[in-house]
Amino acid sequence: MTEERKKSLIRILIGGILGLLVGLVLVPYVMYSRECPPLAVLACAALGGMAGLATQPFADSGRALLLRSAGHFILTAAFFALLVVELDMASDWVEVLFWEGLLGLLYLLIWLGRWIGWYAEVSQLRELLGLDPGPTPLKWRETLPYLPFVLLLCTAAPLALRGIERAMGTDIPALTGIIYPMLILPVASFCVGLSLGKRRGLCPLFPVACFVCYLLVVFVLYNSSALFHCFLTAVPALGGNLLGLCLRRVRPTGG
Amino acid sequence: MEVEVRVERGRREPKIVILAGEETEEVRRLVEQLEKLRLDPVPVRRGEERLLLPQERFLRFYTDGKGVSAQTGEETFAVPLRLYELEERLDKRRFVRISNGEIINLDRVTAVDLSLSGTIRMTLDGAVYAYVSRRYVKKIKETLMREGRERH
Repeated sequence: MTEERKKSLIRILIGGILGLLVGLVLVPYVMYSRECPPLAVLACAALGGMAGLATQPFADSGRALLLRSAGHFILTAAFFALLVVELDMASDWVEVLFWEGLLGLLYLLIWLGRWIGWYAEVSQLRELLGLDPGPTPLKWRETLPYLPFVLLLCTAAPLALRGIERAMGTDIPALTGIIYPMLILPVASFCVGLSLGKRRGLCPLFPVACFVCYLLVVFVLYNSSALFHCFLTAVPALGGNLLGLCLRRVRPTGG
Repeated sequence: MEVEVRVERGRREPKIVILAGEETEEVRRLVEQLEKLRLDPVPVRRGEERLLLPQERFLRFYTDGKGVSAQTGEETFAVPLRLYELEERLDKRRFVRISNGEIINLDRVTAVDLSLSGTIRMTLDGAVYAYVSRRYVKKIKETLMREGRERH
């Protein structure tokens, strides 16, 4: 048995024991009962074991990191779903998905924390090698010049168009209800993302900015049933950005 | 301190002899610095041809399944040494191991990039890519810091 595997087993064991103890104390408390469903306690112990292993996926990089993280998340999500069901925290599968979404968000935050650590290391390497500082974390500064386009496209334009529709006394707001969000917005988001990708490469904050800026519009002009509109800007923005990145790799433009 | 260079035709590696009245701290430091400065040329093969090339010509040394290869700006050679043997021979201030199978020349690094999945990529001479294993990052930083201190 390799040293690394031995360490992993010890971590799983310690995490599992702590998870079991937490489960034995918390499960009856959460369920307002003296009974302790064995499956819920088992899920607690398994989640403890997975928490013990939580830093291992980040020990490597690239493909190994993605595979290990995905494997760790899938197992953790399965045990978490079991716990949610056993503790009656969800009445249907949509609620289970909601809890899984929260777990996914937690994973994303942990990953972001690790990434910032790696970024600091790379910045230090660049400094020691006497190189340029390189791009800002998640290329936020490189994305900033595109923020006015995003605000115009995802916030100002739909609000202005709705104002025009009202001023013209249109009965059915076809422009802001169908044509803009279904056609103009995706195409424009794609084109802006493409331009950003060609100039600056992959900028993960760009689709997020599109999503957030349009979210305001959804609640001002529509209601929560139109939340999917946010994806109609974020997904093409990401697609355009990725295509721009590919084109940049094929024919570098500098910048 | 006097410095004298004597050219000896046919000599393959330079030899340094320090003449001193006694072994002072200064002499010991000088010996230490010279020992670190390994200038041995690297033996390589280009087909049947055997060559000795100066260390500074190389961008990187890497294992490729068949053995160890050495890459310069222009071409790639086979090296009749193991990677750990090469590591011993190379100038420790200039060459550093970045993964189990690769040693690079720090003087030829032109860019360092980080991907979203945490992969660190070093670009050598603007065209050759080398991928850094996370386990070696600490060692690379230590080498660079030591080199920086010695320069100042």
